[in-house]
Amino acid sequence: MDLHRVRRLGWVLVASQVRSGARSANPKGFLNQPGIFAWAAVGLLVGVFLLASLALDALTLPRALLGSVVVAAVPFLPLLAVATVLVGGVMFELTATVRFAGSDAANWLPLRPEEYVLASSLAVAYTYCLPLALLLGAFAAIAVHVGAGALIALSGVLSAVGLLEGAFLVEMVRSTSQRAGSTSGARGRVALVLRALALVIMIIALQLVFNPVFLFASLRGLATFGQFTAYLPPFWGTFAVLAWSSGNVAVAAAFALLAAAFAGLLLCAATVLRVRYWSVTAEEFRLEPHRYAAGHPLLRALGLSPAEAAIVTKDFHGYVRRREMLPLLVLPIVLLVIVFIENATSSAGFGTFGIVVFTAWATSFFALLLATTSVGQERKAITAVLASPVPAASLFRAKLVASVAPAWVASVVIAVLVGLLFHVGLGVVLGLMLTSVVAGFVVALWGLAFAARYSDFQERPRPQYLRPGPMLAATGSGILLVFVVVVPATVALLSTGTAALEGAGFAAAVALTVVALTWGWARQGFEALFREVPF
Amino acid sequence: MSALPSAPRAAGTGRAEPLLGVEHLSKSYGTTRAVVDVSLSVAPGEIVGLLGPNGAGKSTTMRAILGLLRPEVGSVRVLGHDVASEGIAAKREIGYVPESPSLYEFLTGAEYLDFVSDLYGIDAATRTERIHQFLAGLELLGHEDSLISGYSQGMKQKVALISALLHHPRLLILDEPLNGLDPRAARVVKDLLRNLASSDGVGVLFSTHVLEIAEVICDRIVILSRGQVVAAGTVSALRERSGLAGSGLEEVFLALTGTGDLTDVVSALRR
Repeated sequence: MDLHRVRRLGWVLVASQVRSGARSANPKGFLNQPGIFAWAAVGLLVGVFLLASLALDALTLPRALLGSVVVAAVPFLPLLAVATVLVGGVMFELTATVRFAGSDAANWLPLRPEEYVLASSLAVAYTYCLPLALLLGAFAAIAVHVGAGALIALSGVLSAVGLLEGAFLVEMVRSTSQRAGSTSGARGRVALVLRALALVIMIIALQLVFNPVFLFASLRGLATFGQFTAYLPPFWGTFAVLAWSSGNVAVAAAFALLAAAFAGLLLCAATVLRVRYWSVTAEEFRLEPHRYAAGHPLLRALGLSPAEAAIVTKDFHGYVRRREMLPLLVLPIVLLVIVFIENATSSAGFGTFGIVVFTAWATSFFALLLATTSVGQERKAITAVLASPVPAASLFRAKLVASVAPAWVASVVIAVLVGLLFHVGLGVVLGLMLTSVVAGFVVALWGLAFAARYSDFQERPRPQYLRPGPMLAATGSGILLVFVVVVPATVALLSTGTAALEGAGFAAAVALTVVALTWGWARQGFEALFREVPF
Repeated sequence: MSALPSAPRAAGTGRAEPLLGVEHLSKSYGTTRAVVDVSLSVAPGEIVGLLGPNGAGKSTTMRAILGLLRPEVGSVRVLGHDVASEGIAAKREIGYVPESPSLYEFLTGAEYLDFVSDLYGIDAATRTERIHQFLAGLELLGHEDSLISGYSQGMKQKVALISALLHHPRLLILDEPLNGLDPRAARVVKDLLRNLASSDGVGVLFSTHVLEIAEVICDRIVILSRGQVVAAGTVSALRERSGLAGSGLEEVFLALTGTGDLTDVVSALRR
């Protein structure tokens, strides 16, 4: 293995990530350099360390309390490092467009598979180092304050190993998922569905297993299940730090060595999987013979023109056939599953009010996500629509239907599930459906107004459909908007008399006002899009 | 090989009224002036070659003709329709192939062409027949039910070409349409364009860097350089103007765009 080549390739892969979002034309600018992550990490580590140290000096907290915080939290940083890279990696790295991730050239350059795997893993681990730097800075201040500097140093080193373990796992998943669906021998639509299902299951499983809710639950149970988790390699870094904190240096050294060996093993496995499963060229998916017809009959029956129905149908195909869309689609499912499980397992639970609000929020958030990404996910292929005799109003209507319809289906299904799982009354189930449908429509319009104006059509390593600033604004304001509609509607649903009337009236007034204001705003955005293609 | 379908003959197409009229078009991107005071026209049955070095403003001009860009100055009329105010009517008459066409790669070729047919309102029977003929003519039959993501560049280019021709356009705006095509397909497309122009009165604005092709199929050439029209006319007229009578279009092009003497460049590259 040529480490110089690994370093150069890793640099290129990080540059590809750093510059993908850069609007500046100057690639030599400080913010466009791969080193920016290192500077930011050091800045965070030192900055947070200094701030936390100052705060500790000022607060004069009991030393015993701080010591217990260190012993309780610092050992779990290595495990958290694995989780961060794995969850983030599966959400973003796996769905990256290979052609634009700077990794396509590796297919024909004289590189050995292990060199590519190591370089790519280092690049992934490096780009996820910031959250770890932040946590290390904070806990280092506490650890140094109570004289546990060696413990945080060991945790830091093993967290770096954890980042690499996570990155190697991401590489393994990346290689195997390249052919997911077709390796089973399936063909056509079945292969496509299998590929989508495999990715969805993988994303949901990883999100659930490494979700903070479950991580904390596993931490609580570590004392009980310690014997069992000691056999799980991702926990070895954590066990090393735990052993060190209890003064057992030999066991700490053994677990630290095991963690390093596990990382090495993962590198070997990732290399083998890349050689075995990586496919240089795009896989050919042959579907059943297509029957030409003017627009989908169901969509036509809903009043859409053939062109509008065609755009909606095309978007529906995109949802299930495009790898980069899948993480968006499963996010609400993950949120709901977490809430359902947390509600079922915790002693207090959310109560009917919490369940209704959160369920309506999740399905509306789904509509918001689909709407905000609906225009940018077209990429430059939107030229075909903009160059055709389709008016802006048609694209607007089509995008509204494509965003709202899946969210409405989800609303109905989830409301029924809520009824079955939590034994709420039929009235509440129907009310939840209505609330979710209305809130989803309102917030989809809101998202479309942003999407029409601020979409990003560039192909990038990490898919980005809306420019970052507007994405934050649209998501933040959209979530707020959902609550403004959903909370009073839920109050109305679960109350009687005047409170019910007031809640329903307020929710309806907000929804109608926002729709009245946003409809024109969104339509104007689409007209502007047709006047000047923004790429 | 199946015969490719042609456009229905347009009634009353005379050479007097241009299909495309571009008047004093100017477009800037920030401080960069991409197109400056460009005027050109395409008559019925005429194939006009739009030539120019990289970054000369060819694609910008074509996108402005489609109404995909809003020019600061100037106007574009397509079959009498002002593109700025009657964009939909103008687009109905145009078939467009962009430079390096981006297609929806998660659709199959057949699904994509069906999608485009819906955008142009082509009825089911017509689209079925025409798509089949085009697929056969460009040797894509058998691949139409595969996802476009698995297509080669040439196959994608063929799909883009078919999608531009499906709705019987009266004006074709083709930005490097022969990119990536195999020799047979390139020949088919060239013959088809000639046929559409001469028999059906279709006008073609055609950009290419392959000057031999432009020389063979274009009735007139417009040369852009740094966003401006530096020469326009038939190939023989351009030869005369450049003082290179008897030379090929390549020499004429290099002379007119001021990139004629390449000896030093080649010498430097050989070192």
